Amino acid sequence: MITAERKPLSEIKEMLAPYKKILVVGCGSCVAECASGGEKEVGLLSSALRMDAKASGNEIEVKEMTLDRQCVYEFIDQLTDVIGQYDIILSLACGAGVQAVAEVFPKVHIVPALNTTFLGETKEAGLWIENCRGCGDCKLGVFAAVCPVTRCAKGLFNGPCGGSRTDRCEVDPDVPCAWQLIVSRLQDRGRLDLLRKVHPPADWSKQQGKGPRKIYREDQRA
Amino acid sequence: MSVYADQQGIDAIFSDYERTRRTLMDQKSAGLNITIFFCQQLDPNQDVNRRALERELGKRIRFFPLPCSGRIDSLHVMRALEAGADKVYVVTCPEGACHYREGNVRAKKRIAYTQGLIEEIGLERERLELIVAPAGAPVTVDELARAILARKASIGPSPVRGKQA
Repeated sequence: MITAERKPLSEIKEMLAPYKKILVVGCGSCVAECASGGEKEVGLLSSALRMDAKASGNEIEVKEMTLDRQCVYEFIDQLTDVIGQYDIILSLACGAGVQAVAEVFPKVHIVPALNTTFLGETKEAGLWIENCRGCGDCKLGVFAAVCPVTRCAKGLFNGPCGGSRTDRCEVDPDVPCAWQLIVSRLQDRGRLDLLRKVHPPADWSKQQGKGPRKIYREDQRA
Repeated sequence: MSVYADQQGIDAIFSDYERTRRTLMDQKSAGLNITIFFCQQLDPNQDVNRRALERELGKRIRFFPLPCSGRIDSLHVMRALEAGADKVYVVTCPEGACHYREGNVRAKKRIAYTQGLIEEIGLERERLELIVAPAGAPVTVDELARAILARKASIGPSPVRGKQA
């Protein structure tokens, strides 16, 4: 799941300042799950914008809409009939969603209301944690489904740093040591042998340095 | 900062309900629009008990019974303020006495979060207030509302309401 947090209202207002007719568009997928960009958050932000404008004597029109997803054309298309009625779109999608809508409607001003943060997991109600960097070279099969790239503060591939204290990371004691988890899980599964292999440095060229990454599958195309 | 405001004042007023009945309802006279979200577990006859006050104050007061105060959501409060409420109260059961164990604890967290939201748009956090019903003696929702209304209004009309009714 992609996680995000709402920008401060002052920053959002600055982006919207020259515009009078605003459509606030939510996304019902990842950012709804992390309580930052779903239908409810669209309502909260729209109410805040309308009240702020009223209190300061500005006349603006703020309408609300939430798509199931803002990163898939079939859902973005729901905007086609209404988008012309507005001066600007305030998107509560992740960065991918904002850009996808902008691709479909290149002449429309679209601005983000969220700061997209990381790929994460809903750990418990109100707590989301990062557990994937999207490095493009997944080694979870070797490391007992614990990502050392993301969850080890030092990103170590070949064993712990030795600095952990009572199974906690020395960099952040709130976080369990990723290598403690890897070793204890592999021990439970009787697969400590997986750690005998020495892993070379990661191939970061799969993650960065070549511009935006692409996944292309002929079998999925029309 | 505490989400409570003048809880002791509420308790004191309840301790002398007859005096409260005689007290001029300050917020009524100040012409404020009041919205009260309350846990309906507090008063099994809330549906009947709130009617008299609703008739008396008309549109100036709006009651919203909740199955538990833990059902309150920031969006309820924001919509109430946007619809013209000058002051929003959320009334919970006493701590430790929630019918669903911890609904009132959750309500307290949500009130604190929502106070941050309304401050962000320049409204006073006092426009939203959490009231914990007094422990022990059973209360009716109209008594509770009268006690709340009898307090001196700490804020004036909302700038969001402007010159509307």
